[in-house]
Amino acid sequence: MKKICSLLFVGVILLSTVSCSDDESIAESGPITLEFDNVVGATNLQLNTTNTPYTNAKGEAYKLTWLTYYVSNVKLKKADGTVFEDPIKSDGSAGYYLVDENDAASQEITLKNVPAGDYTEVTFTIGVDASQVDQGAQTGALDPAKGLFWSWNSGYIFLAIEGVSPASTETENVFQYHVGGYKADAASSQVNNVRTITLSFNGDTAPVRAQHEPEVHLLFDVNKFFNGTGEQVTFSTNASRHSPKACETLAGNIAASFVVDHVHAN
Amino acid sequence: MRTAIVFIIGLFLFGCGSEGISPADTAYVFQQPSNFPPATYTFENNPVTKDRFELGRALFYDPVLSADSTIACANCHQQVRSFSDPVHKFSKGVNDVSGFRNAPAIQNMAFQAHFFWDGGVNHLDFVPINAITSEIEMAESLSHVVTKLSRSDVYREKFENAFGTGEVSSQKMLYALSQFMNMMISADSRYDRYIRHEGETLTADEAAGMKLFATKCSTCHATDMFTDGTFRNNGLNETFAQDSGRARVTESADDRGKFKVPSLRNAELTFPYMHDGRFRTLQEVLNHYAHSVKESETLDPALKQNGALGIVMTDDEKAKIILYIKTLTDRNFTNDKRFSNPFLN
Repeated sequence: MKKICSLLFVGVILLSTVSCSDDESIAESGPITLEFDNVVGATNLQLNTTNTPYTNAKGEAYKLTWLTYYVSNVKLKKADGTVFEDPIKSDGSAGYYLVDENDAASQEITLKNVPAGDYTEVTFTIGVDASQVDQGAQTGALDPAKGLFWSWNSGYIFLAIEGVSPASTETENVFQYHVGGYKADAASSQVNNVRTITLSFNGDTAPVRAQHEPEVHLLFDVNKFFNGTGEQVTFSTNASRHSPKACETLAGNIAASFVVDHVHAN
Repeated sequence: MRTAIVFIIGLFLFGCGSEGISPADTAYVFQQPSNFPPATYTFENNPVTKDRFELGRALFYDPVLSADSTIACANCHQQVRSFSDPVHKFSKGVNDVSGFRNAPAIQNMAFQAHFFWDGGVNHLDFVPINAITSEIEMAESLSHVVTKLSRSDVYREKFENAFGTGEVSSQKMLYALSQFMNMMISADSRYDRYIRHEGETLTADEAAGMKLFATKCSTCHATDMFTDGTFRNNGLNETFAQDSGRARVTESADDRGKFKVPSLRNAELTFPYMHDGRFRTLQEVLNHYAHSVKESETLDPALKQNGALGIVMTDDEKAKIILYIKTLTDRNFTNDKRFSNPFLN
């Protein structure tokens, strides 16, 4: 046994030497930043305003007190069609990002070691899908202690939007929409509210180079979310939603709420 | 490059060293019973070690997990009853609040795909989150538990031993609790020793009960897990206003009144029975299936064959089935010192 192990040992060292010798020829790479800017129509979103400055398509005034969502599975496509996938770790320590309107730093997601090239399109997921949740306890952005985890019907809240509207019949006129639910399977009729969104840079390119740090400026428009094709929200009914099916139509509004506004080549 | 070599040498040493594992260490190795289905748990993310297991054991018995430090997991999951509640039909949470379902046994968790009566949780790591954060159980937040554990020198040392860093996180806490529960395997009942040909025999009545069970009960209480893991309406009620069961999770009317088929392992110890703990004895349970199954839209078809409700059983047949079910009692499990309260040792 000892002899076999020793042989194996030598073999493994040789193998590792060979595989590591490629390190020198690593192609040029650089960072790229995706900025997620939350807006209401043409104005920048402000949380916890003293009045209710915004109005949905139903004519109901409102303000927001919280907006947060999970971004993951980020992919960048070059003009030549090649795709860079932001690496994901099974314990959630990489590849998952929690964008929170209360935390300016969280709204800038910087991907590092992106191969140099001219990128023209981004794909990302809002939510946390089965392949990740099924790995068990998570850390990083997915630490369930962050409070965006449903305990009784386990899984993450993908997007939480909370506020106040005089139209709401809930206590203190609040509304709370917690969109989650990933356990889709035919047998149980559960819904999958994970949404994957692909946005082109509208003819612009983001040039990733060792010396360039391009920034893609994305907008999430709260009014588009409330006034989408999945459901036109009225705060007057069902303004407290905390389950997958209750938010299925709202999940249908997510994709069209995001746009790429512009790209800084830097 | 250097890290790569060190890592590979580490792997290599570990691989060759595992030959000489001492018997004491096997107590903390996950061992798959030969008559069980494959484990469902993601051991690749959280391999069992003694230190992690012992950390999980301490957490399981420590009321620090609850808001006012009065309720530990073990309050409602006691070993003598195969980790079910020995006292209450509905377990008591903090401030003496009552739950609304009977606390299920904790056993053979590594083999299950769904947890809780409604199956709302589908990974063992997330099971404690439900109990810790539920207002009617421990009424605590995960982040505050992490804070409390971080303040404790004793726990920081346990985390250090278990995970190589004294930094407490919810993930490490949940990993440790899973380790403890993963090792809670009940596979050493008289039935197991009989079926694995380990020198055990069944009495004539138990053997007769086994045959009856196969025709009358094993549609749902299938395999050596004694459950098929599905959700079924077993005819307890005609309407489900009080507890819609699986529908609470799936939000589907088709699932109203359905609950997870429980394993019958250690059923002798896990009374009272059903999600609402309405039956005190196995005799009452079998009487229900024989005589009092109630019709409803989601009633399981297995309980309405040829237009007749329930399962046809004579009193003699019921008695034999109960004798057979009692062969599933595993005292080696309920007496296993590894799972006992570490604060009493």
